Amino acid sequence: MNIETLVKETKVKFDHNLAKHYLKEKHTSKLIFADQGGLWKADQLLLSLLVSGASKQFILLDLNDNPIKVNRAELFQKALDVYYEVMEAWYQEYEELRNKR
Amino acid sequence: MKGVLLFAFNTPDVDYVKMASITAKKVNSFLDLPCTLITDCETNLKFDNVLYLERDASNYKRQKVWNNKGRYNAYDLSPYDETIILDVDYVLNSNKLTQVFDFYDDFCVHNSSGYLMYPNIEQEKLGQHSFNTLWATVLFFKKTERVKLLFDCVKMVQENYDHYVDLHGMWSDTFRNDHAFAIANRILNGHLEDKSNYIPWNLLHIGEKTYVEKLSETNYKVILKEDKSKYILIKDIDFHMLNKDNFIEMFDE
Repeated sequence: MNIETLVKETKVKFDHNLAKHYLKEKHTSKLIFADQGGLWKADQLLLSLLVSGASKQFILLDLNDNPIKVNRAELFQKALDVYYEVMEAWYQEYEELRNKR
Repeated sequence: MKGVLLFAFNTPDVDYVKMASITAKKVNSFLDLPCTLITDCETNLKFDNVLYLERDASNYKRQKVWNNKGRYNAYDLSPYDETIILDVDYVLNSNKLTQVFDFYDDFCVHNSSGYLMYPNIEQEKLGQHSFNTLWATVLFFKKTERVKLLFDCVKMVQENYDHYVDLHGMWSDTFRNDHAFAIANRILNGHLEDKSNYIPWNLLHIGEKTYVEKLSETNYKVILKEDKSKYILIKDIDFHMLNKDNFIEMFDE
């Protein structure tokens, strides 16, 4: 094993993983939004739950652990809008990062 | 009316008022809010409003006076209906904090934090067998009866801090607002947690073992002191900068 190569590889990975961590810190916080009296995170779990329901109204536990009765379609649309906007920005920055390495 | 409060008491080593003036400019530009400085120093630096408060210099950190007592006065001193208290070393680079006005009830702080260059550091507790600390670096409040009680409770904790140091098995008897607000908030919530008092994302620290270079208005290079080949580039993200000398050097014009 060549130690110099190992150290070099470790440094590259350190920078890359740290930058990934920073992007996650920055963008996951932007997924949070308030709607219909609750606080939500527009992540894949919330979107899946909302898209899989059939009834117009839905009771969900928000980020503060409060059960909130929501209009499913309206919350889904809002969550989807937030998700698209944030993930697009996250993806663009991630691609910039990948291309630098 | 909404606005920001900054506390700044100069020491022989650190010009906190100067740091506050830098942060006040950023408050005006990124949050579009007025800023009030609370200090005991005369200053020619530009602030929307300056209020004077006698310092309580009875607190020590690393054998030096640490003027961080008296933050409970914010409730009575704030000229605003809705207030953000910011530490002067909080570096604003976005309008993200304005989002909190949309969802908090009457009081809100960070309950979790992360170190940008050390992502594996665990959440800090008050003491080994106690609960997680809150971070009074960024603190939102409205003037309500309940919040008045909270600030009174912070005063009570400050005045009886030795008792709480023993009770929670804290590692140091240096007074910290983080701990005082954590204890007071617990007491007010029936000695339990209430997530609605938390800002739902991490407070991002940039630690003392890290050096920051300002590249442009909201772009920075963050470098590990121990190995300068390790760095990352960040932009449009707020952070709490622990290295005061680096802060002043970075924004000195």
